[in-house]
Amino acid sequence: MAAPMNQESGDVKTKLSKSERKAQKKQIKARQTLLRHEGINTSREVTKHLVVANAGMSNGVHREELWRLFETHGDLLDIVMVTGKPYAFVSYNDDQSAAAAFAVFNGRMLKSPQELQQPNVTFYLNYIDEVPSQRAAGLDLPPGLRLVEDFISPACAARLMEGLGWSNEQQQHTDAEQALRHRRVKHYGYEFRYDNNNVDKDKPLPGGLPDWCSPVIDKMMSEGHIKHRPDQITVNQYQPGQGIPPHVDTHSAFEDEISSLSLGGQTVMDFKHPSGKRVPVVLPARSLLVMSGEARYLWTHGIIPRKMDPVPVQGQEESMTLARREVRTSFTLRKIRHTPCDCKYPSQCDSQLQKTGASLPRSEGEAAQLEQQHVHQVYEDIASHFSSTRHSPWPRVVDFLKTQPIGALVVDVGCGNGKYLGANKDVYSLGNDRSCGLAEICRDRQLEVFVCDALSVPIRTGAVDAAISIAVIHHFCTQERRLKAVKELARLLKPGGKALIYVWAFEQEYKNVKSNYLKDSKEHQNDDVRDKSSTISDDIRGATSPDSGQSDSVQEQQGAGLPVHVNRTSFKTQDMLVPWHLRDGAKKQQKDCRPASP
Amino acid sequence: MHRATSTGQRLYFRVAKNVGCMLLSFRTTMRLLTHNMLTSHVKGVTNGYPLKLQAENIKVMSVDFNPEFVARMIPKLEWQALVQAAESIGHLGDLPRELVPEYESNEEFLKMAHHVLMEVEVIEGNLECPETGRKFPIKNGIPNMLLNEDEV
Repeated sequence: MAAPMNQESGDVKTKLSKSERKAQKKQIKARQTLLRHEGINTSREVTKHLVVANAGMSNGVHREELWRLFETHGDLLDIVMVTGKPYAFVSYNDDQSAAAAFAVFNGRMLKSPQELQQPNVTFYLNYIDEVPSQRAAGLDLPPGLRLVEDFISPACAARLMEGLGWSNEQQQHTDAEQALRHRRVKHYGYEFRYDNNNVDKDKPLPGGLPDWCSPVIDKMMSEGHIKHRPDQITVNQYQPGQGIPPHVDTHSAFEDEISSLSLGGQTVMDFKHPSGKRVPVVLPARSLLVMSGEARYLWTHGIIPRKMDPVPVQGQEESMTLARREVRTSFTLRKIRHTPCDCKYPSQCDSQLQKTGASLPRSEGEAAQLEQQHVHQVYEDIASHFSSTRHSPWPRVVDFLKTQPIGALVVDVGCGNGKYLGANKDVYSLGNDRSCGLAEICRDRQLEVFVCDALSVPIRTGAVDAAISIAVIHHFCTQERRLKAVKELARLLKPGGKALIYVWAFEQEYKNVKSNYLKDSKEHQNDDVRDKSSTISDDIRGATSPDSGQSDSVQEQQGAGLPVHVNRTSFKTQDMLVPWHLRDGAKKQQKDCRPASP
Repeated sequence: MHRATSTGQRLYFRVAKNVGCMLLSFRTTMRLLTHNMLTSHVKGVTNGYPLKLQAENIKVMSVDFNPEFVARMIPKLEWQALVQAAESIGHLGDLPRELVPEYESNEEFLKMAHHVLMEVEVIEGNLECPETGRKFPIKNGIPNMLLNEDEV
């Protein structure tokens, strides 16, 4: 039984301690990860360059910290960090320095806070032959975007802040000044309304633009940065950590050029093309940014709410570091547009989308086709997402169902995810929906359900004691069809039976009080309807159309010839398409609900 | 064989008892009570009731018996259609072909009706229009009653 262990473990010289073995394992793992995910080939030989895992921007490590750590071990040449990566490149002038740093740092947990702010960080080092060139850096600005650095002097900036009169202590907010969740805001000239992302063009604010802004506007004009003299200014103050959701300024509201003057701290503005291409632009203090053409009409711009930004190191554009944000005050200068927008980017253009006009279906066939495309297919696509945002039954519907006695037969036409089918356990609830995806969700919840169209429900005439149709009938695109749906519902009832119908109201204000649908816009969505993460319309089931944020889907809406509703605003016309915004990350399901072949 | 079966059953009940939510995914069916309400709605059909029931896969599940519920449900039913449907899938059992008088107080009868209405469930099969022969499939417990354009 006393047989020796195998040869290797008995060899004292090569035996590593437990922690050494662990470090070696992790180092090898880091090497493999770099190769597999990043295509970075590490070298087995000692070289001048190191790639340091866990020392990247995505680890929250600062370039300055790394510099301080690594310069003590040799002739440090450069440190390159890449946005969003969990590693950094450290280059020395000679191999020996790199080897010295390797010996000191590899696999050792750094002391916090003496060595590194963050606790429990262990670097794993590998040698590389050369530092990969950072193609991500040095991106071209979006066409039509111009950045003028040092546009105004510090003294001029101070005069603007003085004119604004915002000291550090909080003031009473006046009408044109509000504290949005994300930032402090003040308007001059015209008030910008966040409920419809537009201005009341016939209601200018008293006083116009303040005199203390004139020198800056004069300078913008005389230096040729803009052609139209702005007549509206919105001032935003961002605390570190605050941002603004990505948006395109409403085309019909403003002329082509939109300028942004940055005061105080610098920030990074994110520009995004509908194709997904993203260009972060550093806006230094006292710089002027002018968006025109494609950058103004097609690209979205926004500021990610965070306290630090990855920015290029001064003078070394390919190398990045983290910059802490400070309070930034931005002046957005715009010229009100008084004619419909005629830009070259109809996919983002509210004027041109509206101009297609309401062409309601002229025949039953067209109506059915329109509903198939803009209602049925949408529900199949969004069934699971729809269901996950529709869990609370409306109390008045539940009250109605509770009035039904034991043993009553109740049908829910357009039952969706079946949230009312179990509201009264004493009755037999039978649900149906046009969407197979939603019917499956009901089925999985042990609910009795079948698939049919509300215009033709396969239930015996007079069979049920009660029927409900909750937020369904407004999906039918002609009055005839809506009436037919009501008649069909009534047909199912026994004599004396009751039905409850809910539909969306065109009027979203009653006695000057706004509905929750409108009110929620302030809470959920501080700026723009195109921010996908914040525009889940809670109860709208209008003729929905999914908005993937891509131009093709918008064009699809345009093709239908109906105006497109802006979520959480008043309805402009009786018949319109209401976009369904999928939350980022929510997956579209690919399903098709068809009649079975007879 | 016998042992294997009984173990399986016991396991099944333990699941049912202790992890009630597990059952959610088991029930993927259409009840005969639902069938009793459904009718063919193909355009022009005058005798679309009852739909002929063809079942390829049936499940019998235990559902809490509520005599008042069943007693109140019976007058709403087409009794002959229920008997036919139950018989066509071999689950009529001892259910009388005619309604018995004073069934409201006949617990034995109500239990049988309860079983047929609430506990016999069709997972896969067809509902066939008696007039046109149009078949509406039941898949995973969901009848697809959608009509084609030329049927509405």
